[in-house]
Amino acid sequence: MSTGNGDEKELVARCRRGDDDAWRDLVDRFGQRVYGIAYHFTLKREDAEELSQEIFLKIFENLDRYDGGFPLVAWVLSLSRNLCIDRYRRRKRENSFRFVSDDAVTALLKSEDDPATLALRKERTRMLFSALAEVPEDLAEILILRDLNGLAYDEIGQALELPEGTVKSRLFRARAEVAKKIRARHESRSVGGPLASIAMAAAGLV
Amino acid sequence: MSCRELERLFVSGAPEADSARHRQTCAECERLGAELDRTLSVAAALRPPAWSPALRHALLDVPRSTVSCEGADALLATLVEGEIAPEDAARLSSHLSRCGACSEAAATLQSMRSLAAPEAPPWLAARLAGAHREKKKRSLWRSAFSGRMVVAYAYAAALIVMLLGLNPTAVVRRAGFAGLGESTRNAVTVAESSIGDRLGALQEKAIRTLAVWRGHIGGYGRAAVSNAFALVWRPEPKKTPNRPRLGKDGGAAATPVGIDVAAGRREELSAPFLRV
Repeated sequence: MSTGNGDEKELVARCRRGDDDAWRDLVDRFGQRVYGIAYHFTLKREDAEELSQEIFLKIFENLDRYDGGFPLVAWVLSLSRNLCIDRYRRRKRENSFRFVSDDAVTALLKSEDDPATLALRKERTRMLFSALAEVPEDLAEILILRDLNGLAYDEIGQALELPEGTVKSRLFRARAEVAKKIRARHESRSVGGPLASIAMAAAGLV
Repeated sequence: MSCRELERLFVSGAPEADSARHRQTCAECERLGAELDRTLSVAAALRPPAWSPALRHALLDVPRSTVSCEGADALLATLVEGEIAPEDAARLSSHLSRCGACSEAAATLQSMRSLAAPEAPPWLAARLAGAHREKKKRSLWRSAFSGRMVVAYAYAAALIVMLLGLNPTAVVRRAGFAGLGESTRNAVTVAESSIGDRLGALQEKAIRTLAVWRGHIGGYGRAAVSNAFALVWRPEPKKTPNRPRLGKDGGAAATPVGIDVAAGRREELSAPFLRV
């Protein structure tokens, strides 16, 4: 298990002393990643920005608790996890993941795709997030952190205080559950009518 | 239903080639593997959402928007003193809204002021009024045995004893002879005649001495009575600060009110008693 290096510890110490340059360094190191995680938990730009600010406020307020015991990114993630899960639960209660907006999906797609490919990817992405909202939270968060944000297994394990084996096991189950939900949706659409089935086949979703 | 071999291989970190070989031999795992590949390909095609410059600016401003827990301690002290600057109050408020521990500490510190001046319960006023009446009753009882009253009682008792002072010889003789028989009275008369002269002389001397004492004691007794009255019924002297005191040059000095004794006797006799 890797630990935080002296550079990160020194960076945090400088932030605690009120060094603006050090804080700017910390924001530029983790701002994009934190925003990405927040976005995948909320699927709304305004909410993700507000959540990112809350996370960085919490980071600043708790700088004195970072002892360099593990990488700074894992520490940042552990601080932001509860805020992200709280927001995620709220969104689930509001049932806002059932219909993922076109804007929310577009922000995640590469614009160089041709229109047909872009439409296909949009539909797949929308279906991915709808299925993700139907699996248990402990599975969904690991899939978001690993598959959507590219965090390493040890970073996730440190942040969630789980052994690496458990992280992998949960990740596998998360993927399998999401795949099962997607298949179930395809099957229900196929049952819905021959035109829908033809359209899905043409889109390459089945 | 999958045989879970794919999951075992994944968790153990086995090479992709091992999973591929197993999928060729297991139809369920092949189906599951295909679904997983599709899901992963969707995720892999996504790019991370880009954060805006406005968000970056807001994040850079965080140190001016809040304080750490250790910074909150110092600001809490100034808050309790009422000397906190408006910008610090805003930063502290922002921190307290997110930090339960500091928020609790702030509430406890601020409650100290209300602890210093508790609001009186509604029943307290009635209870205090009752205590005042009780104290009044008790003070009357105590005043009857105050130091001043005890001195007055002592004077009165001394006066009674002195007023009852009788010739002891005459009392003994009267009481003794009344109960004796004829022969005994004769014997006593004989005995008395032998010592009568001596007793008579002594008695005369005692009576003379007693008469002298009575003269003195009578004087002291009168003084005791007047002092006792003065102690018990003497009203509070009126304060006349602006009134010029009269001395030897200006006439009679201010007379203590309520001591109704002759001026000469008072100067001679009352002073030692009043100092008791």
